[in-house]
Amino acid sequence: MLGDLGTAGLTAGLTSASLTVLLWLRVALLGAPARAARVATVVTLLAAALACGALEAALLRRDFSVRFVAENGGRHVSVYDTVTSLWSALDGSLLLWLLVLCGYAALLARRRHPRRLHAYAMAVVGVVTTFFFALSTLAANPFRAVHPVPVDGPGPNPLLQQHPAMGVHPPLLYLGYLGLVVPFALALAAPLAGVEGRDWLRIARPWTLAAWSALTAGIALGAWWSYAVLGWGGYWAWDPVENASLLPWLTATAFLHTMLSGAVRHARWNTVLACASFVLVLLGTFLTRSGAVASVHAFTESPLGPLLLGLVLLAVLASTLLAARGDPAPPSPRTPPLLSRATAVLVNGVLLVTIAAAVLIGTIFPLLTEPLTGARTNVGPGYYQRTAVPLAVAVLLLAGVAPAVRRAGDRAVARRLVLPAVAALATVAAVGLISRPGLPALVAFGAAAFTLTGLAGQLGSMQRRRRGVRTVRLAAVLAHAGLALVAVGVAGSSAYGQAQERTVRTGETVRVSDVSVRLVAVDRSAGNGRMVVQARLALTGDGSDRTVAPRLWYDTARDTAVTVPRIDTGVLRDTYVTLLAVAADGSTATVRLAVNPLVGVLWLGAALIVGGGLLAFAASARRVRRRPPPSVPVDPPTALRVAA
Amino acid sequence: MSWRRLLGVLAVAALLAGAGTGLLRSSAPDPDTDPVRTIAAGLRCPACQGESVADSQSPIAAAMRQAVADQLARGRSPAEIRRWFVERYGDEVLADPPARGLPLLLWAVPALALLGAGAAAVRTLRPPRRRASAAAAVGSAPAGVAARRVWWLSCAAVVALVAAVAVVAGRLEDAQPQAPPADPVAVTLQLARELEQQQRYDAAAELYRDALRELPDDGVQLRLAFALLRAGDAAGAERTAREVLTRSPDSPDGLLVLGLAQRSTRPEEAPQTLRRFLTVAPRHPAAEEISRLVDG
Repeated sequence: MLGDLGTAGLTAGLTSASLTVLLWLRVALLGAPARAARVATVVTLLAAALACGALEAALLRRDFSVRFVAENGGRHVSVYDTVTSLWSALDGSLLLWLLVLCGYAALLARRRHPRRLHAYAMAVVGVVTTFFFALSTLAANPFRAVHPVPVDGPGPNPLLQQHPAMGVHPPLLYLGYLGLVVPFALALAAPLAGVEGRDWLRIARPWTLAAWSALTAGIALGAWWSYAVLGWGGYWAWDPVENASLLPWLTATAFLHTMLSGAVRHARWNTVLACASFVLVLLGTFLTRSGAVASVHAFTESPLGPLLLGLVLLAVLASTLLAARGDPAPPSPRTPPLLSRATAVLVNGVLLVTIAAAVLIGTIFPLLTEPLTGARTNVGPGYYQRTAVPLAVAVLLLAGVAPAVRRAGDRAVARRLVLPAVAALATVAAVGLISRPGLPALVAFGAAAFTLTGLAGQLGSMQRRRRGVRTVRLAAVLAHAGLALVAVGVAGSSAYGQAQERTVRTGETVRVSDVSVRLVAVDRSAGNGRMVVQARLALTGDGSDRTVAPRLWYDTARDTAVTVPRIDTGVLRDTYVTLLAVAADGSTATVRLAVNPLVGVLWLGAALIVGGGLLAFAASARRVRRRPPPSVPVDPPTALRVAA
Repeated sequence: MSWRRLLGVLAVAALLAGAGTGLLRSSAPDPDTDPVRTIAAGLRCPACQGESVADSQSPIAAAMRQAVADQLARGRSPAEIRRWFVERYGDEVLADPPARGLPLLLWAVPALALLGAGAAAVRTLRPPRRRASAAAAVGSAPAGVAARRVWWLSCAAVVALVAAVAVVAGRLEDAQPQAPPADPVAVTLQLARELEQQQRYDAAAELYRDALRELPDDGVQLRLAFALLRAGDAAGAERTAREVLTRSPDSPDGLLVLGLAQRSTRPEEAPQTLRRFLTVAPRHPAAEEISRLVDG
């Protein structure tokens, strides 16, 4: 019953999504009124909502005749985990993906933008929607009936039942990924829409900022989840799934910067970066959803590879063809001087594109070597530490230099950089003489000090500006300060992190610097499809004593063991205790005790970046709304210079 | 030179010296780090996914760490030790692929990206004069009949897109039949059987009890009785077997377990039960041994 309802929703969605494309094309090509196309877009959204709702209802009512529920539901699963299990496996997450995509389409359809630009962009979004509806309906229908109906299911992957962040991380990530479809669609529509296309960057900005903020938050939550659940002690493993989320973030970040510089506008940077961001989203989906790259996240294996790869190629082809037609914006009248925002923005673009290239080739390298050499050559974190990390430090330094360049050809730049440079040198001297964090971390500390000092100076000069400009500046300061704090967190936790691993008997202790844990007892319990072992440990350190109880549990239905670390979060350092193994008779336990400094600073920095993104989004959305687009754009460069 | 300026210069010099010393100190290898750990961090654990030998918990990683320590003790250099591992496990054992052959791509691709993007940036900042006119010739829209033709073509393209997905999806379905959903009881039974093979009868009995709660089945109950018997709980085995026998009094396995259990609980009744087993199932695989047991 629910299964039929869901299949009906998917089929209706596929039909109306195809119709949407054609109706918007009618608007663009033949000048038909947009009303029918708008209605079709909303109907598609309703169909996606129906499919999502049907699967959610089937999960909650434990209707095991529906394939997805039989594979991922379970009677022992809590309501929260049941709701979130919609996106715990491929076929269900595809429905959420569709819901988010259709939501963006419906929002974009409501706006009043230059007619042809808008209609072409909607047609592009429609093609993407049609493809994913076809994928879900024809290749990965989660509603297919199961015979005979099982009595119970195994429940979602136990790793995904461990942390409340699982309820927010995938939806946020999807909001980020799919939001990038809007700049992609506008970039493709701009060359088709002729003169009207000159306005695309102004329209794309708030969408890109919203998507980028959500993507940043999603990546940060993913790192947090990895830190708090996977129990290996780190937050970023350069795992293919993590890299797949980082790739579009890098190009989208570059895009957010290049779109601000009037001088860079007429070149193809914006078109290429906007297209690349969404193509990388699709490529990432292909890499992680096809099971092509083995990873710790390999629970998303599926036979959808060829189809997704086809879509990636189609997107690359379309963007190459249309980008070759050029950006319709008129070229700026004069070339900017070497010392200008345009240069800074371009250097930033070059650095971020290079980082993206390194991460991309590192991620797909095993895929290339396997058919060629027969062996699977994996790329470890060492590669990224030697390529991406130094470039990232350069980006951070640039974020400190660029705000000092206020007017093109400004002579006072050097004077403004004196104080940040002194702060950076002092930090390097102090940290380098007191401790040995290693060269990359030391340079990162210096760069962070440089950037933070420069940003503090900028805050001071902000009072003199108009309110709108002030908000945008403040957003930039927040995001860049967040980047510096992330650098401090990453450098600090990787340079000063300490860990000790020991097998101890009851009463024995594990010690790391001034923190120690003593094994009090090992408790076992079973039931609900799992066996749980818990070690009670007395933690001493930081002048306070308390008991922590890391767990190790074994899911019988999925045959998976999960370590649940206990993290004692402090201002400057976390104490991270993991139970790795327990002897059969419970007399000994293998415990890993780690002290991770400055991880909290990393999360704070990520929050600041997201906050900056949201603030800039609010400011730019207000500006787009306050000034309805002129039917013939008068002078977009002026409008953009105000935005900058 | 004024005093203030002199102080300034001195301060900058001191800062530069301090920062330089800090950087130099950091670039030199830290004498405190464990050389075994440094080498192990550069080796990939062959049994795990994406973990280095230094971080992995697996037994093979522990053995490899031991091998590193042994060879270091024998005075081998880190490069020699790495080569020793490469000879045994191939290049894949290195966490970073060696920079020759195909792995050169790892460096060539970012380098090309840097060059390409850099060249594009330079062109953007110093554009050749003639490009100004080229950009203006963009965006002539199709009109009238041509537009209608494009629209019909688009209709065909959308249909083709959906059809292509359908065809590929159909192919995939033929090629890869969907695996039936995992039945938790079946998985539990499988696990219990594995535990039995490892002679961990207590744990296996626990799992059989779990499975019985979900799926009341005589076969499972008899497996439980066997497991209890092997775990040394004869009374439990007897009780469990009797439960089965009340439902089906002639169950051969039920009689077998009951008889074997009685050998330790009530030795006087055991021969009688086992003889009954032999009459019910003379061709049972255990029959020969049981008859030897009863007669001998």
